[in-house]
Amino acid sequence: MDLDIIACIFQLVSQLALSMGYFFIFRKSGKKGWYGFIPALRDYELAVIAEHEEEGRTYFILNACYFVSKQIYIYYDSGSPMQVFFAFITIALAVSSLFYSIRIYLALCRLYQRPRKWTVCWVLFPLITALIWGFNKNFQPEHKAWDSEEISAAKVSDASLEVIKKGLTVNLTDRTVIDFFKKRYLLKDIHLSIPTGHMVLLLGGSGAGKTTFLNALTGYEKANADVILNGNNVYNNYESMKYDLGFVPQQDLMRDGDTVNMTLIDASQLRLPKNLSFSEKNKRINEVLDKFGLTSVKNSLVEKLSGGQRKRLSIAMEFVSNPTLFILDEPDSGLDGIVARNLFKSLRSIADEGKIVIVITHTPDRVIDLFDDVIVLAKDAGRTGRLAFYGSIEDAHAFFGKDSMEEILLSINQKDEGGEGRSDEFIEKYGQRITGQAG
Amino acid sequence: MDTTEIKKFKYMGRIGQTFIYFLKLCRLFVFRNDWKVLPMAAVIAGMVSMVVGKGLFLTMEGTLQGAFALTCVCIWNGFFNSIQVICRERPIIKREHRAGLHMTSYVCAHLIFQMILSAIQVGITIVVCRLSGMHFPEKGLMTEGTEGFIVELFITLFLITYASDILALMISAIVRNTTAAMTVMPFMLIVQLVFAGYFSIPNMLREVTDLMISKWGTQGICALGNYNDLPAVLIWNRMKAAGNVDLGGVMTLSELMNIVEENGFRDRVQYELGKASQNANYVSTPENLMACWAHLLVFAAVFAFITVVFMEFIDRDRR
Repeated sequence: MDLDIIACIFQLVSQLALSMGYFFIFRKSGKKGWYGFIPALRDYELAVIAEHEEEGRTYFILNACYFVSKQIYIYYDSGSPMQVFFAFITIALAVSSLFYSIRIYLALCRLYQRPRKWTVCWVLFPLITALIWGFNKNFQPEHKAWDSEEISAAKVSDASLEVIKKGLTVNLTDRTVIDFFKKRYLLKDIHLSIPTGHMVLLLGGSGAGKTTFLNALTGYEKANADVILNGNNVYNNYESMKYDLGFVPQQDLMRDGDTVNMTLIDASQLRLPKNLSFSEKNKRINEVLDKFGLTSVKNSLVEKLSGGQRKRLSIAMEFVSNPTLFILDEPDSGLDGIVARNLFKSLRSIADEGKIVIVITHTPDRVIDLFDDVIVLAKDAGRTGRLAFYGSIEDAHAFFGKDSMEEILLSINQKDEGGEGRSDEFIEKYGQRITGQAG
Repeated sequence: MDTTEIKKFKYMGRIGQTFIYFLKLCRLFVFRNDWKVLPMAAVIAGMVSMVVGKGLFLTMEGTLQGAFALTCVCIWNGFFNSIQVICRERPIIKREHRAGLHMTSYVCAHLIFQMILSAIQVGITIVVCRLSGMHFPEKGLMTEGTEGFIVELFITLFLITYASDILALMISAIVRNTTAAMTVMPFMLIVQLVFAGYFSIPNMLREVTDLMISKWGTQGICALGNYNDLPAVLIWNRMKAAGNVDLGGVMTLSELMNIVEENGFRDRVQYELGKASQNANYVSTPENLMACWAHLLVFAAVFAFITVVFMEFIDRDRR
């Protein structure tokens, strides 16, 4: 028989055997086995079961580029400059792919609780390794892969709240992203109305979608939702309303080399209307400096400020425009108890001026007496951010049957995060309540 | 602010924001110690003029070497000015964009600031070169007198620095952090040096050089320095070094060259050797110089445009 035909048959058989190895690995890991027969996809899916999806994505793209580059290399005449050029590119892509594959195999070893030296076998002898891992019953993953399609999460309430005239009404159906050809739900079914003058705590475990929710609320990242502030649709009027929505990020994002005063002046130039006179702007800056206790350091460089002062300056930058809706993402991170409490007292006084203040904090219990309401966001079984509760602090204690916010958080956190894993129970319970309220 | 109805206030426009950010950049230049790039430019210019300044604008080889070195200095200065300026404050820009900052204003403020910074650096470079005794021709291609030449040299070096500066600004807008920026910078620098036209490269890659700041920079300086009309001394010097070669028992090469020198033909031979080494790219005409300037300007404009485009997508940054 011709040598080429033998080589071809050998290639085919080895590819088939490799696919079979992958087939059984995927079956063991709770994925569809047929993924193992699609060369590029199977590597990506292997990364997904190893919980390294991002690496898998990059590996997939690198492999695709490697394939294209290799074909171009073959197309050009031997020894031509273009062939040499594409040889370099192909080698660079191959090396990059190799390192990404090593990362994926290392993660796979962790998942299957096998020594890391198996990574060498995966790289050098993928066929034999895939067959061993696929067919040997001793090779079992620590846990099955998570598949959103096969998991039943809490039911969607389909509620829609009536818009309140003085305050914020949110009717959010969903917030999705297309992630590597897949539609992912980040948030779903959030309906609430916050009256003006309320200071609201936003509670939720990591990955529950707190920041995504706040971004959707301010129209910065639009969701499939109606967000109405004092009778005006935020999404439809974003350009004119964005100055009325203050968002203080978690990090103190300011330039260290500028002075406190100049930082506030520049912030006011951006955020205050153009027709305001210089003296009016200056008056507002002085008010804000005074309110946040920054007058004594107004000529200092930002880099010279203490943690608490930096945080207050970061808040002052947003507060200079006197926004109706004021949102703060962990304003107390890195602050000690007394400084943090004083900061929250300032926020309480802002709410008392008829504003809505929404705050994320990971240490809510030390300042809970300053809040009116709490929003509890939780990840459902499908890992989508859902509303588990919105109401007064006392009501929250009764609803969850817990005495503190930290206990509430523990009850909704997933079991693998050290929580009680009851999020779906509370989401459904609250869904029924909100459906009743909406009529 | 009235909370029951939306008031259509007017907020600061693009021009106003550009001015605000330009002043901010000036303040940060002083407070953040970014001014260190100015003495650094003087030191680099001093080193380069010490090494290659001797033959610059005097001999063909010296001019080519010096032009290449000056171009490298300008590219280095430009890269260093702005390679980190955007990526190091990306989250801050994102916050300000959310609060109403126009990306065009932000980039424009940088363009104006970097323009002034590049001009100062080039001024320092020329002053240092002059003080170190570098020979400058007596006229430029479009203007008379050494002053005219200096003006044309200033414009050429400024455009090289500025185009490199905006290229680095573009990289800074594309990458996510300073580590990535500092990884890309040497790579870009190598590409600029390799494809400057100084080294011989395969024919099919010649067209790549047209996309390089370094190529148009070197070409502009060589054209300005009358490269094609200068003597070529390298061959003469090498022949002198190999002076012991016996020319058929009649005399040695060294003796022959001495005769040429004693009869006053050395310069003529060197000029004739120069004529044989002329390069059409370096022809000393105002049109050629203008073409170099135009290319550098177009590069700067394209890089600036790409910078704005990338900055407009800053909201898509993940946490």
